[in-house]
Amino acid sequence: MRNKKRKIQFWVAAGISMVLSCILLSLSSSWAGANRAAPSTEELHADIQTLKQEAARFEEENRGLRRILADQEDGELYVVVDTESNRLTLRQGDTIVHTAACGTGSHQFIEAETGTNWFFETPIGSFTVLGKERNPVWIRPDWSYVEENMPVPLLRDPDRLVRGVLGKYALLLGNGYKIHGTKWTKLLGTHFTHGCVSLGDDDLEIVYKSVKIGTKVYLF
Amino acid sequence: MRNAEFVGAKTGMNRIAVYLILLLSFFLLGADKSGPDRGEQAALKAERRSLHARIERLQREQDYLLFQKMMYENDSKYLILDIKKKTGHLKYKNRVLKDFRFQTSKNFPGRSLRPGMLTLTEKIEGKKDRHALVFEKSFVVRWKRSAVPREKANIPSLSLARKDLLSVYFAVEDGALAYVIR
Repeated sequence: MRNKKRKIQFWVAAGISMVLSCILLSLSSSWAGANRAAPSTEELHADIQTLKQEAARFEEENRGLRRILADQEDGELYVVVDTESNRLTLRQGDTIVHTAACGTGSHQFIEAETGTNWFFETPIGSFTVLGKERNPVWIRPDWSYVEENMPVPLLRDPDRLVRGVLGKYALLLGNGYKIHGTKWTKLLGTHFTHGCVSLGDDDLEIVYKSVKIGTKVYLF
Repeated sequence: MRNAEFVGAKTGMNRIAVYLILLLSFFLLGADKSGPDRGEQAALKAERRSLHARIERLQREQDYLLFQKMMYENDSKYLILDIKKKTGHLKYKNRVLKDFRFQTSKNFPGRSLRPGMLTLTEKIEGKKDRHALVFEKSFVVRWKRSAVPREKANIPSLSLARKDLLSVYFAVEDGALAYVIR
């Protein structure tokens, strides 16, 4: 009886040892396998060398690209007019030098009895300051007479020359468009002009004195 | 009799001991690396990881520089959106036309949105200036009262002030590009 009990004890112990052996065997083989998959020190050194070369190549290329981009930064002042927000900004690079409320085209439409019509819109695009005027004289265009239901005079009629309405300064952008002063200062920040960009006296003076002929003007 | 039982049990114990020794030797087969070698390997692996991270950073920088170079040569306006600073710039070539700030919606994928280029796929013209700009399936640029169609309501959004949105909306055209940085 006692012999049988000891035999059972022996087989139970043997069974437990077999189970344990299986667990340990699987653990040891997986650990060995993991070590086999891991790169050797030499392989790591080679990897690092390749990665260093790749990083150096990227750094060199990025330096070149930064140089190309920097060459295009002229550091010049430029004028931006946001025709939606009615704001003029004088910028140099990413820096805002001056900003002011301005007036832009009213988006109004008028038509003369002759059928000629006008839509008062500020043009969009890249412009250049083509000229600078002090005490500019306004040469009244035809629409100004049509708007006030007045007969349109001849082109050279001296009645067309009006002083003082454009402020002290004007910057000429081409096709008759200008950045100039206005007597309607309360309307600055709204769409009220016939297409030109108008500014208050103080802001106009700052802009006029900051820019030169050739300065870029971006209207958007 | 008792002696025989004792001998039998002893033999059994011996067998177990042999098994355990054999197993231990199997286990130790895998532990063929010495301590200092493992330390060097760990250091090399750390260096390799940091190099991978550096290359990824340089690649991202190059992607942005190439985008800028392309846009400097291009004739269309584009947006630069800094998600981390919540600021944006409307640009034309190398000129900044407008700076603006924005808020991100609660469902905005702050971390998962990868830096890079996106295309303006749709301009939604809403009533009473409630316009919106859709950039692929990534996000919508809008102001808080923009009329965004129901099917696009769940797309994350960047909210701008009304005036800023109108300026940007009318400045960019379909197909315009935006670059997301963080």
